[in-house]
Amino acid sequence: MQVTPRMGRGLVAVTLGVLAASPAAAQATGDPSAANGLFRLFVDSKHVLVRSLVQDFSIPVAGDVNLSLHWNNEHVTVPGVSAPVGSPEAIDAITTASRPISGDAYQDYEKVRNELEGQATRGPVSVGYYYSTESDYVGQQVSATYNRDLHDDQLNLSFGTSYGWDDILPLENQRSTTAASTKNTMHWNAVATQLLSPTSVVRVGVEYNHVSGLQHNPYRLVYAGGTTVPERHPDSRERRDAFVKFHQYLSNRSSLQFDYRIYDDDWGVFSHEVAGGLSQYVTRGLYARYQYRWYRQSSADFWSNDYTTTQGIDGYLTGDYRMSPLSSHLFGVSLNADLSVLAPDSPTLRRFALTFDYERYFNNENYSADILETGVEFRF
Amino acid sequence: MKTSQRNTWKRALGLLLAAILCAPALTGCAAKGVAAYQRENLADPIMAFQTRAKRDARRVRALEAREGSTGGIGGEGGGCACK
Repeated sequence: MQVTPRMGRGLVAVTLGVLAASPAAAQATGDPSAANGLFRLFVDSKHVLVRSLVQDFSIPVAGDVNLSLHWNNEHVTVPGVSAPVGSPEAIDAITTASRPISGDAYQDYEKVRNELEGQATRGPVSVGYYYSTESDYVGQQVSATYNRDLHDDQLNLSFGTSYGWDDILPLENQRSTTAASTKNTMHWNAVATQLLSPTSVVRVGVEYNHVSGLQHNPYRLVYAGGTTVPERHPDSRERRDAFVKFHQYLSNRSSLQFDYRIYDDDWGVFSHEVAGGLSQYVTRGLYARYQYRWYRQSSADFWSNDYTTTQGIDGYLTGDYRMSPLSSHLFGVSLNADLSVLAPDSPTLRRFALTFDYERYFNNENYSADILETGVEFRF
Repeated sequence: MKTSQRNTWKRALGLLLAAILCAPALTGCAAKGVAAYQRENLADPIMAFQTRAKRDARRVRALEAREGSTGGIGGEGGGCACK
């Protein structure tokens, strides 16, 4: 299926029109006003550092419409290359983060990304707009979702779509020249959530993405046929996945969570993801969560450890380890405190909720990362 | 992955999708017994999908830059400085 940008915009426009006209949108959401602040720190074994400051606001506005706003300010530090520019040894230094090679490539490269998202919800209908900007990338997206309760509210069906259009503006780079380009993403999803018993619930979903345009790293070179050539990926990709999530409440005030996802695309990448979690109350208003995730994927058809010619495979070459056979593990622990329960008599404290998350990620490419999050929620 | 293997996996994926699409209709009949007053545990933060929704979205976004697949929560966003 080929979805052109014009078709994509048309489909989203039609969906938005249908959703806006929906008579079922007349229920008040009743969502209280809330503000969330979050600090996120990401550090990986390649010494890439990402510091994110995330703000979320949710406010009821005129009528029965609820407006949520999201802002993310992200500072990314990519380390300098550790070998002479243009040498095969230097290529691995930029595997997981894109940076241009200009000026003193041995120095750290810093970039800032700002992301703004607004979403309006009226009854079962939500529409949203997303904007992200950084020095060499501008991403935009419109989205819409509709959900409906059925069977005495035992079953909820949700349908979503989005269309994204990104402008890629590569900076000056000593090693390769890529012209400004675009990437368009059309997304559809259908999700069903079903109560199974007073203590168990299941969610299943399917998703489809069609991505067209520039999909390789414009700064990355690939070692092929005894020389280095710019990375080259196909400019069209169809991605689909299905997932199931199951939650079971246990009698000792804990719950078990199980997730499974299967994924396939027309580049040849096929993957499984299995995750499990245990949430346990330490006391009223304070619970801990432990989690584990396992992931495995096959390689893309055009991936190779050793390209013998500069034509690669079917004209494509990649230096991206995400296109290789890959398996990974993730362990996580989090603490969540609701001060409205822990300190109900304090008029100030009871408006707050606190979260602390730590995750350790590692894969078979000798790559690992630590992710730390601390968050504060204030309810008006 | 060889073509025959991929075809096998694609059939498996097709079956899973069919099962997922049929599951709500089948389980809808079985779960009519969960009355509103019986849903206290289901609404608990340790059970609600909504509790982790934003956290999961941030994780998917971070992992998209480290792995070759995507999905599990909804749409793809555009742009990511850490890719």
